[in-house]
Amino acid sequence: MRWVRILAATLCAFAPARYAMAQTLDDLAYETVEPSRIKLGESAILRVTSFGRIKDVTLPIIPGLVFEPLGRSQGFDFVNGATLPATFFSIRITPQFAGVFTIPGLTPSSRPVGLEVVKGDEPNPYTWHSQQPTPAPVPTGTLPKGVQLQAGGAAFVHLAIPARPIYVGESVPVEIDVGLRAGIVTAVNGLPTLKGSDFTFNNLSKQPERRQESIDGGTFILLTWHSALAAVKPGEFELSAEAPLTVKMSTLSAADRAIASRLAYPLLQSMYSGVAPKDMTIESSPLQLKVLPLPMEGQPENFSGAVGNFRVSSEVSPASVAAGEPLTLRLHISGAGNFDRVDSTMFDHLDHWKTYPAKSSFTPSDAVGNEGEKVFEQPLIAAQPGEQSIPGLEFAYFNPNTRQYEHAQTPAIKVTVAPALASGLSLSGAPATGSALGLRPDHRVPQNSASELRPLYFRPSFLIIPTTLALLLAGSWFAVRPNAARANSKGARKVLAQLDAAARAGDSSAFFTAARNALLQRFAAQWRMPADQITVADLRARLGATGEDLERLFAIADETRYSDHQSGGADFQRWISLIRGQLSSERK
Amino acid sequence: MRTAKIPMVIAVIALWAGQVLAQPTQPTQLSPSPSPSPSPSPSPPTYSADGLYNLANAYARAGKPGLAVLSYERAALLAPADPDINANLAYVRASAHVPMKPLSRFARLVGTTSPAAAAWLGILGIALVGIGLVASRAAPRFLWIPRGGVLLGIALIALAASNAMLLWPHMHEAVILVDQAPARVSPAPMADTAFALREAESVTMTAEYEDFILIRTGGGLTGWVSRASLGAVVPSD
Repeated sequence: MRWVRILAATLCAFAPARYAMAQTLDDLAYETVEPSRIKLGESAILRVTSFGRIKDVTLPIIPGLVFEPLGRSQGFDFVNGATLPATFFSIRITPQFAGVFTIPGLTPSSRPVGLEVVKGDEPNPYTWHSQQPTPAPVPTGTLPKGVQLQAGGAAFVHLAIPARPIYVGESVPVEIDVGLRAGIVTAVNGLPTLKGSDFTFNNLSKQPERRQESIDGGTFILLTWHSALAAVKPGEFELSAEAPLTVKMSTLSAADRAIASRLAYPLLQSMYSGVAPKDMTIESSPLQLKVLPLPMEGQPENFSGAVGNFRVSSEVSPASVAAGEPLTLRLHISGAGNFDRVDSTMFDHLDHWKTYPAKSSFTPSDAVGNEGEKVFEQPLIAAQPGEQSIPGLEFAYFNPNTRQYEHAQTPAIKVTVAPALASGLSLSGAPATGSALGLRPDHRVPQNSASELRPLYFRPSFLIIPTTLALLLAGSWFAVRPNAARANSKGARKVLAQLDAAARAGDSSAFFTAARNALLQRFAAQWRMPADQITVADLRARLGATGEDLERLFAIADETRYSDHQSGGADFQRWISLIRGQLSSERK
Repeated sequence: MRTAKIPMVIAVIALWAGQVLAQPTQPTQLSPSPSPSPSPSPSPPTYSADGLYNLANAYARAGKPGLAVLSYERAALLAPADPDINANLAYVRASAHVPMKPLSRFARLVGTTSPAAAAWLGILGIALVGIGLVASRAAPRFLWIPRGGVLLGIALIALAASNAMLLWPHMHEAVILVDQAPARVSPAPMADTAFALREAESVTMTAEYEDFILIRTGGGLTGWVSRASLGAVVPSD
């Protein structure tokens, strides 16, 4: 009883809250429209969710939209993490024209929602499109004839070679198929190899072709390598291919596998399966291949070992050149066969042309280089001007289809060689003479050579010479003293000549004036003092008795200069001898 | 007697110096390529005007005007008066559609002397001037002889100086070796291209930075050109 009272009291305590919550939920409702953007002609669903006691909703009237009630249902809805009973009303909306519509709330507490209607050709962004294409179904295939599954049915190798006999040196395409069961073979540990030492296995493609096939109820990954095979000697040989793999292998015995198969759960099965990776090499079934020798009968002399089916053509460029100018002869050999045996011996018979080693290039047109085009470029120089003809080139090969030797020949090509040399070097090695249009001829023999292109006067080592020379000469110039006596002798002779002339003319004024000036200049140079500062006292002091004579001469000079006194002519010779003695005397 | 010996001493020194400078001269070689001696230290290249001329002709025939012009320019440095070199240089430049500045009369006159001859004539001129001055100072008698020697020496020095001035621009000249060589605005491979240079065009090198050389065209345009796109007329040591 006590517990009953407690429960009643609790219910009474929560009753107001429960009532208030019920009142709140009566007002709670919301609307959604899905999708909110549709194309004209499609329909959207308006869903009204009510948590109250609403039993029906009134459909709105909106021009352009047709509302069609679909039904009413009861259920639960999640609101803020709580599960609440709700009533759902579903209404189909079908638009009549495009536009943006607003649908009002159908309950007092629901809010309006929007609906966009677009035309039919407009994209609908809400439509989900997958970016990944639908995976193509795996085609069904079968095992190649004579091939058996190996490695517990996980893989196989198949070698495809021509069924017909082949010839020595003939290059034939081969295919190696390796089939790998998906999920069982975990790795291919290298390129497949050919078993057989009497063959060459060339140009194996590094990246195989890859495809999937359903074989024997399982999915296999098929890898196909292409290569070219050539036999080195005749005979009958056995050929096979092998490939290294890593395969998941079961390590359980038969009894253990039986136990594992009885385990009910896949987890237990996988734990008890005992599968481990194992490296192994699988091998194809051996095939017989007959190799025939090349027939000796009818073998051309210029046969170089080319076996296949070839076509040849040639061209030359430029078509007209000057003598001495190079031109290029191109020989195109295309077809299928062993192009490595196609050489340039066909250029050996180009008479009247100077040739240089030919260059070749090969452009394959299949994966293994068995088909393609080989181009030889042969530089030629015409030795003689005029109309020249490049003879046709003959190429001999063995055709395994016709089983006989064949010849492919190009036609002769006419080339115009102008007589004027654009270059001066003739083919005989001697330089052409004279200048012509274009380049002037080469020089015959280089004469002198230098260790450096820089001119001499820009080289520091050379500049030492003029510098040293100039310094030496400058030093010499300073070292050499001028000869005073010789310098004076010429002046003295000139003065004495003037004195003689004045004496002969009896012009004492000119005589003594010239004598006075000459002596003053002489003493000034000798005594290193200005001439106008030389006094009579200096003459007496420096010349002694001679000074007295000179003092008298200076006095007469002054007298004749200012008084126009003409002295007797008998004295001129004495004065001249005195002056000569002074002018010719050594410097003191 | 003492003064009379000085010119003789100078002449002996000049002869000795000439012999020392003449020692590097090598035997005739066609191209400026090192000798194929198997010795570990390769011998320095030697140049001859005729060898460079023949090499340039070969380049011209092979359709490489840039290398042809470069070799002609180098040959012209050694033999500026060679008419074949100048004619073929003009022909290749015209064929490559590269304009060529016409030489002035003075340049043609001075260019008739080879640089080596001009250098030794300049030395002779210095000697004549010096000896003439010393002789006139030492012996004033017959002054017209030393004065004539001085005048002749001055003329020879002027000839050598003119020759040097004429060739000085070639010391920094380069030839574009590839067609449409881009001249960039800065010395970086990804820098914008300012303009493109024609093959066989001559430019002046003014500066260098890592793998780029700042050049100036005849029209005054400047830009950085990859070192591999041009060849200096006078290779750097």
